[in-house]
Amino acid sequence: MSKEKKKIPIIEGLFTWPSDKPQLIGSRCPSCGSVQFPKSNVCNNPDCNHSKTPEEILLSTKGTLYSFTIHRYDLREPFSYHKAPYAIGAIELPEGITVIARLTVTEEEKLRIGMPMVLKVDKLYEDEENVYLTYYFQPEEEK
Amino acid sequence: MIESAIVSTAITEWSDAGKSTPPLIDGLAEVTVRALQSAKLRPKDLDAIISNTTALPFNEGAYITISAQHFAHRLAEKIGTHGTRCMNVSAACASASISLAVADAMIKAGIIKVALVVGADNSPRGFYFQGPSILDADLAVSYPHKVVGVTNPSYWAMWARRRAYEMGKPVEEIKELMALVKELHSTYGAHNPYARYKKVFTAKEVLSSPVVCDPLHLYMICAVSRGAGAVIVAEMETAKKLTNKPVKIIASNFGSVVYGEPSPRLVYFATSGGVKAKRPFIEWYKVIEGAYKQAGISAEDIDILECHDTSCFHTINWIDQVKGWEREETDKLIENRQIRHDGDFPVNLSGGTSSFGEAVMCQALMMVHELTLQLRGEAGERQAKKKLQIGMCTAYGAYGSYGAIILEKGW
Repeated sequence: MSKEKKKIPIIEGLFTWPSDKPQLIGSRCPSCGSVQFPKSNVCNNPDCNHSKTPEEILLSTKGTLYSFTIHRYDLREPFSYHKAPYAIGAIELPEGITVIARLTVTEEEKLRIGMPMVLKVDKLYEDEENVYLTYYFQPEEEK
Repeated sequence: MIESAIVSTAITEWSDAGKSTPPLIDGLAEVTVRALQSAKLRPKDLDAIISNTTALPFNEGAYITISAQHFAHRLAEKIGTHGTRCMNVSAACASASISLAVADAMIKAGIIKVALVVGADNSPRGFYFQGPSILDADLAVSYPHKVVGVTNPSYWAMWARRRAYEMGKPVEEIKELMALVKELHSTYGAHNPYARYKKVFTAKEVLSSPVVCDPLHLYMICAVSRGAGAVIVAEMETAKKLTNKPVKIIASNFGSVVYGEPSPRLVYFATSGGVKAKRPFIEWYKVIEGAYKQAGISAEDIDILECHDTSCFHTINWIDQVKGWEREETDKLIENRQIRHDGDFPVNLSGGTSSFGEAVMCQALMMVHELTLQLRGEAGERQAKKKLQIGMCTAYGAYGSYGAIILEKGW
């Protein structure tokens, strides 16, 4: 019997995992409230007094689609596991930042700017040992 | 106040990227000698050599000290100096415009009288990736390719789609506009001996080319190229002794990340936080606004533009920002073909990056070369019909790097 592959994030520290309800991991500055993704060890607000170190926060799982595109070319090594067609979107989160993400659907007619989107963690690719996970946003209406 | 001016320029023909020979330093030396001879100068006359670094470390394990990061010093050794000041500038695709700004500032500060601004680059073919260094792992800039599969054209495609959306237009309209931009730029590339692509692409051909990431088709995206350029800048009184057509630098501004920029910025995972600016591309606009302030002029004073068009969307967006007007006006300008050599506002009569491909770090030298020819009335078949007094060059690069140069007839 073959051993079940381990599911691991493509990069540690971007989203909570393992989790039943994964969330993106960002940071908020306690001094000025500025939010960043990925989390940072320093605030990025040029007007901040930097009196406190940013704290890790979990970002909203819902946002709206700012824009999108469907990528029609495979990427070359070392990222050749990105197989076309795949969709890229920019998602506006309630925290005031817009995050670049993979989208779950690749049909242009199913996507429109301004539509509500929800976070989902899913397989990006797998090799002989592991299944590599990344974060996606999915149209709320497709859920 | 001390003024500065361009005395001479030289560029190579832009060519296919990706090959390791001939060495880039040979191209640098070639354009340097041509620019020196044109100005009747010798290497000993240079008070400073300012070069870009290059994109060469892309995709390879980069070590701390490589010759490609020290072109100015390598060139100094190759052409010979008596210990001139050397400096290497890196700001992605905006590098060379910033090299020029540094030379301009040193001259205007009275530190030097004559500077060589030089640059060369060669890029791997295909999409650019920021590969992680074996000596540093920077999550924010190295991993969007890995995690999301985002490429530079995917950011540009999202910008283009968003612009159409904000204007209440179907995305097909901006697609057609971008195809027309390619047609118009390629018309001039066909007449430029230094352009890599000397073919005229019709808008129909552009729209028939494969889709890379909708709405961007293949021919709307610039290729990657190899090239080199040199510009000699001098303090005005010196410049007047060297040429009877000194091209005065009336602004050389550069900028970077603006907190609150609403548009996703190339190569990052997310926008900055804070209150979003009311207008997208505020980062692009601010560097232009700063240049106008330096020069004491406004958008209406710009007669001709050379803009960094890594995609045809960039040309549209640069015109939006340089003019600072309603975006609908840009669309009308292009649709009415007023960016041609015989139009009201000629844009990229060099053929643009669209026709040259991009030798990333030195691209602005090609644009400055063209503007110098245009202002001097020496651009041959590409020469703008209207009377030219002031021209602008704008550069855009990854990580949030921007440059804006304004040149004026100095005779």
